[in-house]
Amino acid sequence: MTRDTLVSFEGVVKRFGAFVAVQKLDFEIKKGEFLAIMGSSGCGKTTTLRMLAGLEAPTEGVIRLAGKPINDLPTWCRDTPMVWQSLALFPFLNVRENVEFALKMRGVGKAERRRRAEHWLERMQIAEFAERNISQLSGGQRQRVALARSLVVEPEILLLDEPLSALDAALKVRMQSVLKNLQRETGITFVYVTHSQSEAFSMADRVVIMSRGKIEQIGTPQEIYRTPRTRFVADFLGSSNLFTGTVRKAGAGLELDSPVGRLRLAGGAEAGTSATITVLDTKTHLSVAPPAGNVNAVPVRVIGEEFVGATATVYLETAQGQEIRVQKGHDELADLPLGIGQPLFAWWMPEDAHLVAEG
Amino acid sequence: MVPEPQALTLPAGGASLPAGAPSAGVRPTMRRRISLYGMTFALPLLIWQILFFFFPLVFLVALSFWTVRNFAMQPDFDTVNWATMYGRTVFWQAYGTTLALAAAASVLTSLLAFPAAYAIAFKLSDSARRWAIFLMVIPFFTSYLVRVYSWQIFLSDNGIINVILGWVGLGPFPMLNTVLATMIGYLTLSFPLVVLLQLFSLAFIDRTLIEAAHNLRCGRVRTVFEVVIPSARTGLVIAALFAFILSFGDFVSPIYLGGGDPTTLSILITDTTKSGQQWPRAAVIALTMIGTLMVVAFAAVKFAYKGKST
Repeated sequence: MTRDTLVSFEGVVKRFGAFVAVQKLDFEIKKGEFLAIMGSSGCGKTTTLRMLAGLEAPTEGVIRLAGKPINDLPTWCRDTPMVWQSLALFPFLNVRENVEFALKMRGVGKAERRRRAEHWLERMQIAEFAERNISQLSGGQRQRVALARSLVVEPEILLLDEPLSALDAALKVRMQSVLKNLQRETGITFVYVTHSQSEAFSMADRVVIMSRGKIEQIGTPQEIYRTPRTRFVADFLGSSNLFTGTVRKAGAGLELDSPVGRLRLAGGAEAGTSATITVLDTKTHLSVAPPAGNVNAVPVRVIGEEFVGATATVYLETAQGQEIRVQKGHDELADLPLGIGQPLFAWWMPEDAHLVAEG
Repeated sequence: MVPEPQALTLPAGGASLPAGAPSAGVRPTMRRRISLYGMTFALPLLIWQILFFFFPLVFLVALSFWTVRNFAMQPDFDTVNWATMYGRTVFWQAYGTTLALAAAASVLTSLLAFPAAYAIAFKLSDSARRWAIFLMVIPFFTSYLVRVYSWQIFLSDNGIINVILGWVGLGPFPMLNTVLATMIGYLTLSFPLVVLLQLFSLAFIDRTLIEAAHNLRCGRVRTVFEVVIPSARTGLVIAALFAFILSFGDFVSPIYLGGGDPTTLSILITDTTKSGQQWPRAAVIALTMIGTLMVVAFAAVKFAYKGKST
């Protein structure tokens, strides 16, 4: 554990009866970072957050906050405010009273309470609604109240459980930048649980990807995107082409015998073992003639095309029936014939392929 | 060229008709049909209310202006009954007593019921909660009168409680024919209902609000006052209102457990009808009670829904 570690999970397991929600978590949260915990529903991400908040107790293992074990500390004795998916604002209190709530619980005097709440109401741009009821606010305004209510005590860490999932797409993007700026300006550690890749990757300094109660990968968004460590992560991100086969030649200049042919890559693995490689769809190229040089090329046919903004995704199929996707800018595809059934070659550089763990 | 003028005349024709005429021809009929359907089922209740509540009430108002001569009632329009009753100290004493007893019963029942309702709502498992609700319904199987009589067996000077106290050399404590006994009777009447009403309002509290309060450093006990009670306010106030209404009009407990002392309005009504056929004066008391309950109920409902947008 280093000095800039704020939270550490050490062998944390959580079981609900026979159901294992979280199995053997070992990771650290650094002071002042924006950490996103991502995964599909039921992967244990919310349980992990709730254990950190003190709303669930770990079955095994130790959670440390600033070096001290906090397993047995009830949530009202920790400074781990959380923003709920439903926001959980108090409907019987107005905006100001909601924001002042945590200060009141700490016995902060009335004048001081009002002053500090006012600061956060202004900072979150909701001062004009201070006397309103929660039911009179829009979704975005409620979001800001929930953030102000948690941040008014200026905690070291803020926990967020899919807080943006109820907002429409445009507001979601705006709130993302609000959150990111808030985190950068305050230096408060944010732990953000989400199932949305775009939310996690656009805001977080580091992302934890979980599946079935286990961590699949921890890293910066770039690391995870460029080099997914496991097959699950590559599949989950959905931006890579995967090829499975048997390792033929080990060491540098490794070769893989896959159904689509012999593939080369730069990494290392033991000969004779089964392995999967991933290639980003943006690093996969197309050509009419077989490409020359030390590249991996697979003959394919065009099966479809999709346009999103400035990029196009071309869907192709190998003779063996495996789907391959290629993502490119429109001008890069301008010279290619892309009619359905058109035979082409999909190719990539060996150094753009990565070996992933099975799982 | 032919379709064009037609296409042009259509909106013009539509505009000359009442706005939205074609769709308006369909929707109100349907709405009428739906409201008719609903009315069919609501009608028996309406007829019942008119026959057995509204007409008797009108009759009661009329009766309060009748006069009694030689133990016989005569239709009349005389305010003498109102003047006589409102001029009597005994009436206002009984009014004050009844109001105070009902208010006390309402507060006491609510206070005693809340921990029970809270425990059932938050501490019991789902199956235990179902059993608890079932047990709360059981008292309604037996007549209230029977339950009040059985309290006499407990409370009388040689009743169960005093006998047990006698074994340890205490008592006997006179308990029957006291305000305490009346209050026990009121509790018997309204406690199960108040627990159920409180329970249902507590059961609908959003649990994340409680977690959020804990998370913001609000301890367990404080959360009950800061979050649970404000969240369930509507139900808690309505439950207290029911306890008030039931106790305010109750005749059984103050007479069979309280011994008729102090006199409540319900006792005063029976006394008045028995002495010289004074039904019109009894009507004055009854109408005063109805008026009081209406004011209390209106104020309570207003308070229960205070600050709610709907």
